[in-house]
Formats: sequence, structure tokens, C-alpha cells
Amino acid sequence: MAILYDFPMKFLLTLQESLKIHSKRNAFFIDGTYFTYGQLDIKISQIRYAIQNEIPPSEKLIGLVTNDDLETYAGIIALWFEGKAYVPINPIYPIDRNNQILKLTDSSYVLDSSSDSAYKTKFKVLNTNTSGPVVSQSLKPNLNLGEPIDLAYILFTSGSTGTPKGVPITLENLNGLVRALDRDELFNLKPSDRCLQMFELTFDFSLVTYLPPLLYGACVYTIPKNAIKHFYIFKLISEQELTVLTMVPSIIQFLRPYFGEIHSTSVRYCSFGGGKLYNDIAESWSACIPNCQIFNYYGPTEFTVYSGYYPYDADKKKKSNNGIVSIGKPFYGVDYLVVDTNNNEVSVDTVGELCLSGIQITSGYWKDPERNKSAFFTRQENGALKRYYKTGDLCYKDTDGDYIYVGRADFQVKIRGYRVELGEVEYHVKKKLSGIDVVVIDITDDLGNTELGLAVCSEELDLKPVLSYLKEMLPPYMIPTQFLYVQQFPHSVNDKIDMKALRSLFNNSKLKK
Amino acid sequence: MNEVDIVKSLKDVFVDVLGHSSFELDKETTANDVDGWDSVTHMMLITEIENKHQIKFSLMELMNLNNVGDLINTIEEKIKS
Repeated sequence: MAILYDFPMKFLLTLQESLKIHSKRNAFFIDGTYFTYGQLDIKISQIRYAIQNEIPPSEKLIGLVTNDDLETYAGIIALWFEGKAYVPINPIYPIDRNNQILKLTDSSYVLDSSSDSAYKTKFKVLNTNTSGPVVSQSLKPNLNLGEPIDLAYILFTSGSTGTPKGVPITLENLNGLVRALDRDELFNLKPSDRCLQMFELTFDFSLVTYLPPLLYGACVYTIPKNAIKHFYIFKLISEQELTVLTMVPSIIQFLRPYFGEIHSTSVRYCSFGGGKLYNDIAESWSACIPNCQIFNYYGPTEFTVYSGYYPYDADKKKKSNNGIVSIGKPFYGVDYLVVDTNNNEVSVDTVGELCLSGIQITSGYWKDPERNKSAFFTRQENGALKRYYKTGDLCYKDTDGDYIYVGRADFQVKIRGYRVELGEVEYHVKKKLSGIDVVVIDITDDLGNTELGLAVCSEELDLKPVLSYLKEMLPPYMIPTQFLYVQQFPHSVNDKIDMKALRSLFNNSKLKK
Repeated sequence: MNEVDIVKSLKDVFVDVLGHSSFELDKETTANDVDGWDSVTHMMLITEIENKHQIKFSLMELMNLNNVGDLINTIEEKIKS
């Protein structure tokens, strides 16, 4: 069923309709309990009543404590229906950091489903876990309260300067994402779908794991905060027979030793994003979910989650570079541009920085004009001025129009003056250590020189064959000189490898010696 | 190896992996009760336990571990067989 997201906030009306049409169907499975769309609708209505009565219309940015419960999801939708945006704050993060975020957005109100809110001393807290009166059932989303340029959410990611950097996303940006997913002919959600939602709501990837399922009447399966994520996901896949998975690649890295035990015929879509997907693991994972289409999505927070994807299973070519699966083509209405350091377009097959333009582009980092000057630029195209976001990702476009990911611009390090792409070294190490997770990282030695470190996820092993192979394949400056064995790589709460923590592991291990 | 020995060996593994010893391990203990026991350190704990007892857990077994009691029982069964 195609829904036309033809005006900027159409998705809010579709959401409202979905709540009514699917009222008897399950909307969520949270920590062992099902909640129907009808129950979700009532909860939203109760929270809207509280918002209308307690939060002045002028307050637009509202803090939201991201617990794993119905109230938290209902809170997001209630805020949108009332023309307000959510600023997610994660209870597992330090409270000082969360306070800092709420201060940056000038928020004075917080929605919290916790019985005893940690924010009640500094903010006005609306406890969403109470059963109060509801707003009139016929009341539609308050679209006239808001404008397309009103915000849907602001997410904060770690900034290199120590202050978290905020990315504001408008209702129009979000509608653009939903429209692009809706137009896609290969990916179609149905009310019978059971979809995995494994992400913290402070991670923008969560938008595509709860919003599209709710628009199509499907059921969203969340992960309890205290669960061992990887095993809980497998438990959901096997016991609840999930049909749609959206994951970061590190999840299957963890499950890799157990692939032989996984055979899930219910899964029909598996979307990856938020990190490099390697060809070899995608292929072995594919055997665990035989009826599934694998998609490799690409997109930064600054461009509202996704900007395009590569249909891994649909394309026989199985394109990759250095073993990393292609990121494919942009969505309808999204423009990709690969540029050199002067923001000039480079030719096909030439590596440059990938830039994105389209309806999903953020208006800019929150109160950070300096950063905005360097991260965005405008360009004359066919008589119109187009605004581009510079992703910091190095890519090239091939002759089929598919984009191939090469690495992070900032992972391109200089060793003794030579430019080194860390991914290229990793690729060659993996050739010799197949099935073992490795990371090549730049570390600074005691003399202040940059060296290459090789971190291997295994017991100590004989690296001589690897090193002699590398010496055959690569110039001397690309050969790692420091080595570290770890049981697991340090990961951030968003399941990305924490490079900073890994770097400090190298430094600590040197101290021990 | 009896239950007391297993708990003692578990305690050693936990101290080693988590880097602190400010926790008690009994049958009812869950990841919630121990600082630093999360999804990632859990995988490290499992690997250490497997190495120490020369056993290999299956995904089915790991999926159904809800507390330290389940872990002890599974280890006991594995050692016996």
C-alpha cells in the first residue's frame, strides 16, 4: 500500500489513521508484554492531555527520558501531535551530560515514565506513567500548531571538543525519510510484520525501527535495558519469529561463532547500517536467514537516518571494496555528490568526500555556526542553489552509478608523511585472519609519532605469516608496528567500535610492558 | 567440581574481566546487580568461563541464562557430560 507523503507533515496524519485502523493489532512487544495500537492510542491521548494542560505552547523542545516502555514511545508521538519536539536523554548516561544537553536546548520540561524521576529537582517533570484523562478522541494531530520547519527531535552525539553536538531534525526532514522508504519497491512493510527495535532512542537509527512499522500497522519488538542484547535479539528472532531486522553489523560479529546454530526462516528483510558491512560476514549471515533480502543502508544523523542503500541480495554483482559492501544508490529525491577538498565534483571512479543534498538535510548543528560553515556548502545546479552536507566519508561512484564506501576521511591517517587508509590495511590483515575480527588504528607512540596498531579479537596468536603477507602486499609504512589482543573490542552504547577506548587500550598495554 | 567451587571460579573470572570486586555472586544475581556487567562484557565473561572450564556453550544455552544460578547449572551440566 503506497501512501503519498505529499505534504510536509503527512506522516503525522498517517500515524493517526494507523492508530485507529489497527487498534486491535499489536503495536509493541516490550519485555514480554504485547500492547495494541488501541492501548498506544489511549496512552498518547493521556499524555497529550497532560501536555496541553501543563506545558505552555511556547515550549517546543521537551526532554524525554528514554526508558524501554510504552509510555516513552507514546510520549514521542504525543509531542509530535502537539507540535513539539523530543530531546532524548538516556537514563544509562551520566546525569550531568543529560543536564548539559537539556541546558543546550533550553528545555524546562521533561517527560519521564520513571516512578522517581532523576530530573525533578532541575526541571518540570511530567510523569507519563499515570492514567489520567484523555484528549477528545476525535482530535487530530495539532498540525496548525506546527510548521514543517518545526522540529521533530534533536539528537546529540559526542563532539570532539567535549561539548555534545546537536543535530536538529524537522517534521519535514522526517516526512522526507518516510516518503523515501514508502516509495521503495524492494522494501514494503505489512501489518503482519514483526520488527526488531534494538536501538537506544538517543541513537537516530531508532527512527527507522519504530516509525515505519507503526505507520504500516506492524509490531515493534524492543530490547529491555538490562538484557544481554545479542542473545536477546536471537531469542526474539527464534521465539517470536521476527520478520524484519534492522541492525548494526557488530551484532552479527558477536553472533558469528554461533551462526551454525542459527536458521531463521521467518526473517524476510535484514537492514544494516551505522557501520561497515563486510562482504564475508554478510554472506555467512545470509545462510542463517535463507528467506531474507539483505540491504546495506547508508546515511548520517545529519541527513535524517538513511539517504540510500545497496540491495545486497538483489544485485548479483555483490559489489564491495576492500571487502566492504557497497552503499548503492541514493533514494529518490536525494542527490549524492563526490567532491575533492575544494568541494568540486570529481569524475566517476575517483575517490572523494561524499556530500548529500535533499529534503532530509538538517538545517545545521544546534547553535554552532562555526561547525556549520565547514560542514555545509551551497552549489549552483541547473539555475538553482542546492545545499550539501559533507559527510566526512570517502567514496567513489562506479560506472553503474553505485557508490562504493572507502573509509572515513578522518581514518585516513598520515604515517611518516604517507597517507594511509586504515581500511585497506584491515582488508589485507583479514585475508590472512579470516573469521577473526580485526581493527587497524592509528596510535601515537612515546615520541609523538603516529604508528599503526593492529588489534586482534582473539587469544594471542602467531602473526608472523600475517606480517610477511602484508610486507608482500603493502609498502613498509602501512605495516602495523604495535599489536594488541582483546577478547572483545570496546563498543559504544550504539554498538559502534569505540576507537578512543581502543586507542587507550594500546597505550595501557604498553605501560604494562 | 561442586557448586561452591564453581561460584569461586566465577568470582575470579568476574573480577578479572570487570576489573573490580565490589559485588556478591549468588544464584539470584543478574547483570543488573553488578557494575560493568553489560552486553559487551557478558561476551567476554562467557569466553573466559569457556576457557577456564574447557567447555563450549551453545547459543540456546546462552540465550536462556537469566541469572548466575542458570549459569552455575549450565556449567555443572557441561562439566558432567
